[in-house]
Amino acid sequence: MRVAFVGKGGAGKSSLAGTFARVLAAAGEQVLVLDSDPMPGLALSLGVPSVDTGLPDDAVEEYQEGGRRRYRLRSGLTGQGAVEQYAVAGPDGVRFLQLGKARGPRWDNSRPHWAFQRVLDDLPGDDWSIVGDLPGGTRQPFMTWGRYARTYLVVVEPTPASLLSGRRLARLAASRGTPQVLAVANKMRQPDDPDRVAAGTGLDVLGAVPFDPAVAEADRQGRALLDAEPAAPAVAAVRSLVEALRSREAPS
Amino acid sequence: MKIAVVGKGGSGKTTTAAVLARTYARRGHETLALDCDTNPNLGISLGLGEDATEALVTVRDALDAGEEEHASSADDLVERFGATAPDGVRLAVVSAIQNPEPGCP
Repeated sequence: MRVAFVGKGGAGKSSLAGTFARVLAAAGEQVLVLDSDPMPGLALSLGVPSVDTGLPDDAVEEYQEGGRRRYRLRSGLTGQGAVEQYAVAGPDGVRFLQLGKARGPRWDNSRPHWAFQRVLDDLPGDDWSIVGDLPGGTRQPFMTWGRYARTYLVVVEPTPASLLSGRRLARLAASRGTPQVLAVANKMRQPDDPDRVAAGTGLDVLGAVPFDPAVAEADRQGRALLDAEPAAPAVAAVRSLVEALRSREAPS
Repeated sequence: MKIAVVGKGGSGKTTTAAVLARTYARRGHETLALDCDTNPNLGISLGLGEDATEALVTVRDALDAGEEEHASSADDLVERFGATAPDGVRLAVVSAIQNPEPGCP
């Protein structure tokens, strides 16, 4: 399975992505979790204690092409090797790779960022499942930072702003090379909320996650939902999402 | 007074900015709300409505289109491409990414 979570800020991408990855890993899959958000978040939802573990500067080397400075993985390092060497091990055996956090205007983030891009170009093969979490909004999704995904999951709340964002992100479906774009209806309170999400985004809805105070409480504690409240309704809903996607994503 | 509202996704930036803008406008200040998010939703929080928010032409697109004569000033841009939200707040959207293409984070 190769999935990227996108959506408006605050829609619940990280909470769902972290739980989704843990559920896959607990089922025995090899799971690589990719966090390309330059603000911390997914580590906590995943249950990994280190929130800033970007790739090191020396993961890439500089070279010149057409008079321009460019970066490639250093000699001898493959994407798979970078994952083995630098991805942090998390609960249930997940491996976690981060873009690296923004360190302020005076810090040059370009090497960790290029290293992350180069790993995206050379990800491990189909014996791995990949779960990605992109920053809120349309910028990264529209700039191919989720290009590893076979499925984009657009996380949408039943609010006008979230629906509008979902509608914009639905344009990914019209772009080349994106096999599947589906909505996940999150924080549902009313029985017709999933229908509002389908109508408001024009996307098929993979599944619905109920509004669940356990999610906010886990966030408040800085813990993974699956550790803080394994019996929460939202966890059960994510398990259903995993099963629903298994039957929809073409077997690899 | 010039205020920029920043923070993590979902922390309430847009809501805060909208309430600030309308509060200043209600107190009689001439208020310009600038949406600098590439996924611009500030119009919705200001009470402009979904359709009007989606229809706003971004200032950057307006500059790129090249069919009209260049606006003579920032005021002119806001006047021509902005919208008026409740309480008289003037809203302009700086840039929006409409379609997928490769690029920086």
